[in-house]
Amino acid sequence: MPDRALPETPATAPPAALDAAGGRIDCANVYKWFPGGIVLEDVSLTVETGQFVCIVGPSGCGKTTLLRMIAGLAEVDHGQVSIGGAPVTGPDRRVAVVFQHFGLFPWKTVQRNVALPLHLAKTPRAEAESRVSDAIRTVGLTGHERKYPAQLSGGMKQRAGLARALATAPDVLLMDEPFAAVDAQVREVLQEDLLALRDRLRQTIVFITHSIDEAITLGDRIIVMGTRPGRIVRDVLVPIEQPRTIAQVRRHPAYTDLREEIWQQLRQSAAEQAGEPVEQAGGA
Amino acid sequence: MSEMTGRGTGSPSPAGTSPPPAMPDEGPQVSRTLDESRTQIEAAIEQRLRQRSRRNRRIYLLIRIVSLIIVLAAWQYYGSRSTPVIFDPLTRVLGALADLFRNHGLASALWYSVWTFAIGYTVGVAAGVALGMCLGAYRRAEAAVGLYVYALYATPMVAIVPLLSIWLGFGVLTQELIIALFVLFPCVVSVSYGVRNIDGDLLEVARSLRMGRASLWRHVLLPGTVPYIATGAAQGVAMGLVGMFIAEIFTQLSGLGNLLETAAQTYHTDQALAVLLVIMALGVILRGLITLVQRKVAPWAK
Repeated sequence: MPDRALPETPATAPPAALDAAGGRIDCANVYKWFPGGIVLEDVSLTVETGQFVCIVGPSGCGKTTLLRMIAGLAEVDHGQVSIGGAPVTGPDRRVAVVFQHFGLFPWKTVQRNVALPLHLAKTPRAEAESRVSDAIRTVGLTGHERKYPAQLSGGMKQRAGLARALATAPDVLLMDEPFAAVDAQVREVLQEDLLALRDRLRQTIVFITHSIDEAITLGDRIIVMGTRPGRIVRDVLVPIEQPRTIAQVRRHPAYTDLREEIWQQLRQSAAEQAGEPVEQAGGA
Repeated sequence: MSEMTGRGTGSPSPAGTSPPPAMPDEGPQVSRTLDESRTQIEAAIEQRLRQRSRRNRRIYLLIRIVSLIIVLAAWQYYGSRSTPVIFDPLTRVLGALADLFRNHGLASALWYSVWTFAIGYTVGVAAGVALGMCLGAYRRAEAAVGLYVYALYATPMVAIVPLLSIWLGFGVLTQELIIALFVLFPCVVSVSYGVRNIDGDLLEVARSLRMGRASLWRHVLLPGTVPYIATGAAQGVAMGLVGMFIAEIFTQLSGLGNLLETAAQTYHTDQALAVLLVIMALGVILRGLITLVQRKVAPWAK
């Protein structure tokens, strides 16, 4: 056992390193085609380490596709996506994904679901155990470790999904409409908790949502996407300081204006799309 | 979808057991109380649901008992009014059962049948699961042998029995092989369907976790297929018993089938019915065993 000589690892895993490039995401002139047409057209986006970016847009704007490309789950047809300066060629250990459908394995308890990525990475047992219990405590699931996903409410399932993502201490956290499948009250609690966590975890976070409110509440920065083809139509910084709470966000003077602005933007691009004769053949 | 908790939650007090993560003390209080009242409501609903399901289970048991009494009583009534060669009352059939045990070697026939069945069944299920896994997981395997499997599945297995006895004679081996073949196909079909229908979302999670082939099998494909294996194994019991009877009647070797055949040919209807009872009981017990095993191996699946 070679690791026996090593000093014991500290009980708490250190938060993701704050070096400047580690969690930086670069998308350069990215395109994606599906048989039906262009899904993403010339998307360029840079997210700095530690930034919390929300991507909003109507369904069909390719926001999930973009996230899947950053996650290495979808191929980039043209252009390049890189993380920390290294091109993404497939799922990467520095990246963790939180799925809308939770993505928990029904045959594993909360504990085992959270431990799975560490188990797969052959993390030494003692370290894995402490990381798992840390992650479970962080998301507020202590006491539910031995339950199966079917025994959890929707909110608790997503807490478990988040714990699994956090257990590996990734540089980048990708969240694909993570709160879309839970009901409104629970969603607010989860948002509140994520805001509180934000202070302790310094990951780069890309958060997909179709709720403008959610984007303003959580994000440091909001990317607005339009459809047909999917592209970035707006890129705004949220002028509300972190750490914040939902109540503070709602009371903030910038909140209403920003909400209105993004809403107008979305409406406008929807109108443009409807007004345009879609896909003219030959060009009369 | 999410509010149901099946079983195992003991006394429901999730509100007290989940301390919220460390939070700044301002705004969250409001939502926090909201969440707690919500979990309390959830707990109350859960408890009521559990009570209701317990009551329901008691009602179902009662229905089952009443129905059994009616059926047995009807049997007794019509049996006693009919000619002995055609049909017999329950009491006489039970008498014949005791007689078969004492004087006609029912015990050894039962032992022989169960033993043959156990071997054939085990081989059939094992081969069926392995083959089903391959067919379900690998397109190429499906392309190579899928056609034959489905063709054989559609063929009444009974048609193959005479051929098998030509090739292999009338030995125990033939009987075991027949049972195995009867068991094999329901297993193959159910398991390959199960593997193919693993939740695509979970496969994507597996990919994002960078699972290799071995890990994928261990953490996703195998456990995800367990309910389908159980279904195949349960259908296999029914099919396997059919196979067992056919094999025993056809090869006239020994076992329950042979006993039944002998009784019928000598017009001992009461004995034939007694053997039938035994085989029914066997089927029920075996299916119950499979459900038990499934609950043990796969507690997450209903």
